[in-house]
Amino acid sequence: MASTHVTKRAKYKTTIKDPGTPGTLRMTFEKILFVPHNPKSAGKLDVEFRYIKGQKHTKEGSNKPPWLNLTNNQNGSFIFEFENYSDLQECRDFVGKVLAKGGEVSEKPTVAYPDEQLSAAEMELRIKLLQEDSELQKLHKQFVLSGVLTETEFWATRKKLLDREASKKTKQRLGFKSAMISDIKPSTDGRTNKVTFNLTPEVILQIFAEKPAVHRAFLSYVPNKMSERTFWTKYFRAEYLHSTKNSIAAAAEAAEDEELAVFLKQDDILASEARKKIRRVDPTLDMEADEGDDYTHLPDHGILREGSKEMTESQNELYKRSLSQDINRHAAVVLEGRAVDVELEDTKAVAEALAQSKQKSSNKGESDGDTSRERLDRLSRMTEIEDLQGPNTLPLAPLCIKDPRDYFDSQQANALRSSGDALGEIKQIKCGLSTQEVYGSLRESISSIRAMGLKEPIVKPEVAHQVFDALTNSISNTKYHIGKNPQESVLDRLPRKTKEELLHHWTSILELLKHFWASYPITTTYLYVKVNRLKDAMSNIYPQLEVNVRKIKNGEVSSLNFPILPFLQLFCLIYLLYPSLIFLA
Amino acid sequence: MKFQIEDVTVYFPYDHIYPEQYCYMIELKRTLDAKGHCLLEMPTGTGKTIALLSLITSYCLSKPQSPMKLIYCTRTVHEMEKTLAELKILHNYQIKHLGPQARILAIGLSSRKNLCVNPTVVAAENRDSVDAGCRKLTASWVRALASENPDVAMCEFFENYEKAASAAVLPPGVYTLQELRAFGKEKGWCPYFLARHMVQFANVVVYSYQYLLDPKVAGIISKEMQKESVVVFDEAHNIDNVCIEALSVSVRRQTLEGATRNLSRISQEIDRFKATDASILRAEYNRLVEGLALRGNLPITDNWLSNPALPDDILKEAVPGNIRRAEHFLHVLRRLVQYLSGRLDTENVEKESPVGFVASLSSHAGIDQKTLKFCYDRLHSLMLTLEITDTDEFLHIQTICDFATLVGTYGRGFSIIIEPFDERMPHIPDPVLQLSCHDASLAIKPVFDRFQSVLITSGTLSPIDLYPRLLNFHPVVSRSFTMSLTRDCICPMVLTRGSDQLPVSTKFDMRSDPGVVRNYGKLLLEMVSVVPDGIVCFFVSYSYMDGIINTWNDSGILKEIMLHKLVFIETQDVVETTLALDNYRRACDSGRGAVFFSVARGKVAEGIDFDRHYGRLVIMIGVPFQYTLSKILLARLEYLRDTFQIKEGDFLTFDALRQAAQCVGRVIRSKADYGMMIFADKRYSRHDKRSKLPSWILSHLQDANLNLSTDMALHIAREFLKKMAQPYDKTGSSDKKTLLSQEELEKLGDGSMHEMSY
Repeated sequence: MASTHVTKRAKYKTTIKDPGTPGTLRMTFEKILFVPHNPKSAGKLDVEFRYIKGQKHTKEGSNKPPWLNLTNNQNGSFIFEFENYSDLQECRDFVGKVLAKGGEVSEKPTVAYPDEQLSAAEMELRIKLLQEDSELQKLHKQFVLSGVLTETEFWATRKKLLDREASKKTKQRLGFKSAMISDIKPSTDGRTNKVTFNLTPEVILQIFAEKPAVHRAFLSYVPNKMSERTFWTKYFRAEYLHSTKNSIAAAAEAAEDEELAVFLKQDDILASEARKKIRRVDPTLDMEADEGDDYTHLPDHGILREGSKEMTESQNELYKRSLSQDINRHAAVVLEGRAVDVELEDTKAVAEALAQSKQKSSNKGESDGDTSRERLDRLSRMTEIEDLQGPNTLPLAPLCIKDPRDYFDSQQANALRSSGDALGEIKQIKCGLSTQEVYGSLRESISSIRAMGLKEPIVKPEVAHQVFDALTNSISNTKYHIGKNPQESVLDRLPRKTKEELLHHWTSILELLKHFWASYPITTTYLYVKVNRLKDAMSNIYPQLEVNVRKIKNGEVSSLNFPILPFLQLFCLIYLLYPSLIFLA
Repeated sequence: MKFQIEDVTVYFPYDHIYPEQYCYMIELKRTLDAKGHCLLEMPTGTGKTIALLSLITSYCLSKPQSPMKLIYCTRTVHEMEKTLAELKILHNYQIKHLGPQARILAIGLSSRKNLCVNPTVVAAENRDSVDAGCRKLTASWVRALASENPDVAMCEFFENYEKAASAAVLPPGVYTLQELRAFGKEKGWCPYFLARHMVQFANVVVYSYQYLLDPKVAGIISKEMQKESVVVFDEAHNIDNVCIEALSVSVRRQTLEGATRNLSRISQEIDRFKATDASILRAEYNRLVEGLALRGNLPITDNWLSNPALPDDILKEAVPGNIRRAEHFLHVLRRLVQYLSGRLDTENVEKESPVGFVASLSSHAGIDQKTLKFCYDRLHSLMLTLEITDTDEFLHIQTICDFATLVGTYGRGFSIIIEPFDERMPHIPDPVLQLSCHDASLAIKPVFDRFQSVLITSGTLSPIDLYPRLLNFHPVVSRSFTMSLTRDCICPMVLTRGSDQLPVSTKFDMRSDPGVVRNYGKLLLEMVSVVPDGIVCFFVSYSYMDGIINTWNDSGILKEIMLHKLVFIETQDVVETTLALDNYRRACDSGRGAVFFSVARGKVAEGIDFDRHYGRLVIMIGVPFQYTLSKILLARLEYLRDTFQIKEGDFLTFDALRQAAQCVGRVIRSKADYGMMIFADKRYSRHDKRSKLPSWILSHLQDANLNLSTDMALHIAREFLKKMAQPYDKTGSSDKKTLLSQEELEKLGDGSMHEMSY
């Protein structure tokens, strides 16, 4: 950590509208201290950091001054206005650091593990994860801080989480909005003829993507030839001329102002791109090819003014751009998706990033030659008449369940409908299997994997489907069978506190069990100690659970067939098995 | 599967067949046996093309000694590609079952623009420049020059092709345009000339209508087709318009100005030749005196568009004396251009018959009818003599000569109309002189005469008795098939009122009413939020579409539509429309969903399929009537009334409804597919309009759906989509089979099949 404190000149404001008291802001790990320059003025501030919950700040490039807004846990806030953005950034980073620590370090004694050397980045990542997920934080607090699990053990089961966060790649990127946000309407103040356009980086990015000529002009003009403000003023002037649909006026204006003409003219980059793209178009759609084959419509052949044909005015074609063109272009850009993945703050950066990504994609477009092959394949697939054909194998998409609870709950209704009364039968089938049979089938599949390697998919889709059906049925059916209304789950009928407690126990038990089973076979004393620790932790939870159960039983829910049952069953299992497991070890 | 139809074993590339496909094949076979023409209407989405291809190829296979050949005409290049792709599936199947004896050669033929592989030539903007660019490299005199002077550029692909001579053949197989290009590139042979050459050996030739109907093109491409060939016009509901267009010419100011420029260029060339090599001109004169045919044995690269008049009407005699000399001919053309530009300077609309026009031309400009007739051939000969390669520069004078030849050749079925401005834009002076053909039977007559069997087929040929009258022929078979459906997978509706219960229509007095425009917008908005994937929306004209989209944009409806689906729009720019369509398909594929705004009678409505998820709903906004005040249309209506006793109103309604049916008919591709069609105009609820729709739509139009408002339509749409999402038995219920396997087909005798289909 670079410094243990930050001192900046700033104004302290009690509300947004307050002009603010100038003074000095000093922040250390423990507290925030604000001393006004004028010692007489009120507004001296001395707050401890542990009361601060979060921070907000204005963005650079927006027309707001650099403000930092710290919220405390009583929902009050302290607003500081800095002299410039770099001060703001420094303070923001500092507060961020302190808050991150506050989430964990300050509340507990720093647990140092000599066996792990964590880089600052990894540490930060973990802290961030904990902050984002309160459930995870609770677990972490409960087990790591109490010493049941070590830090390493805790994170070892969450490697995937760490990986994904680290690489950031799998995170879903946001596409463009379907709505045409680049078509912004000006706001007027009602008194003068002045109009104001509000541009956000999002809008600018879309304008650049949809109008490559504007993008190119921006790169070459700003800031050498004109300021960004003049640039956009000219742009909107041109847009206004378009909207008047007066192509003669547009032509006249364009003749006078060379830079304005850039916006008014047809986009030549688009035209050349279109020519390139048309070669890759599906041949069954290619109407341009018809044009090339049409000898009836030689110029002046055929019937010109028959009712079926349309007249077009072809004056000042150069300066005409129709709404339909804009709409088509917009939709095409949305479909292409967002190529830029930068923080949308600086227009210049946006413009450059877009230029780079275009470069890349055009290189790629030139290199891949098998598009025509793909096109042909697609064509032949399209020509087949589907229902005259025998059944085709369906394409597969791997199932990725992020939150099992949500998944099984949402699938419950489907599962009930599809399997209906067959539920009982499934159970019977399961029971009917003997240990030998199970063992045999397991061995069989292992040997087949050995022989052929892992196939894609590993499990047959039908089998997987059946298993999932059964799982959904048995996992969340109690919840629904008890509730009268299929939308309402049993848990919702419990008092909120009890419900939360229950769910928390549930996750903590799962966590413990995960570690418990992962420790087998117990080969080292370390593992032995760990298992013991886990067992103790579980036995601590057990009485709490029982308390809950009793509470519930006394309450409105009298049914024995309650979600807690599985917990209890699990515990019994552990206790039953424990001695033998130890023995095995 | 394979099965017998009487003595022919039919190879069909799928495991199952629709009963109507089977019936269709039976009718086709009868036509072929009777060596006559036929007219068959079968709904879209019943696999017409594959049924047709598989019967005709199987018929050919069963009679290996006959020189029968299939000439398959499509309206557009992309349909050509689709047809060839289907043929490829069929061909692979036949090879698998019959072995090498089933091998055929099938090629698609198109212009140089679509086939050329020479990068310098094909880079040109439009077709005419590509044609001219090719000629610059391959014309006989250029090549003669190049043999002496190595600096003269030639096309290596053509040279390689020439060098290979008779060895340059396509191995049997099915070639799409793309594959032809690929083959040409690989071998280093010019695919265009290779294809032109292979046409005479091919068993199946797929090309555009014009290659057979337009005498300008047919004269050079389709001259050598055997009489035994079977000619198919697919999607032929507009065939009468194609025929008419092929024989119509219009002359505008720009044409005349261009022609004047062309003439001075020609006169310069003549002077140049006189100075350097007068013998060539003399040789041409002598040839013309002897009355030699103009294009006896021209090298394949030298000829371009041929005489615009029909082959039977071209005089087989010597060129008249007064235009044999190049200068004299030039004078005649100058006088003609002069006269035409005088006629264009009119204040009023004038209508004249060709006979009257020729008479006044002869009295004012001193050009007689026979001279006019020879104009085109004389020009052609002159340009060859002058060794002009940049033919794309000479289109204007060609147009004038086309006009002269046509007006000199035909006395009836045509009229000449001179308009000083377009009625719809009276403030812009834009004089046009149009020679318009009214009689569709003229252009198609040589085809009926020349070929043994001509099949005209489409999804919409209702009323089916009208076509033989329009085209003046006698079909041996004329039938309209209905569609047997496994489930009610099409759902036509007539929407007469908007969400505020006021009537909607695009009638002239209502179309600009803001309430109507808003109601249409609301309808679309409601539908986008209910219907998954693709929606297509047809408007009656470009101008109406532009207007309504602008209004929707201003009122914010468009923005709301965009929240649900991406919007794509057909424009008059073909490239842009093509890209929009491609993006539309991708949007539907990716699940984002999209709306496509298109125009009835436009290029998209003509030939793009919106099957499966590409079109779950089609909304036809308004009735696509033609612009009834058009002088040409009025002249044509008058001609139809006088000659064929077809009432004006009947023809207009027929024409509008066939367009509407064409638009909505593009949603269904097979019986597994489903789609809704909304006819949004109160006029559709009237019986006289509605009854002109094809029977396969009418049979699914329930009485309850004839007079709906937006909310009711929305309810029906929801129900329909829910119903369609359920699994069903594809083969149909036991009493009515809609999908037949081979065994079922064999079990059924011919007799019972017929009962089923009628």
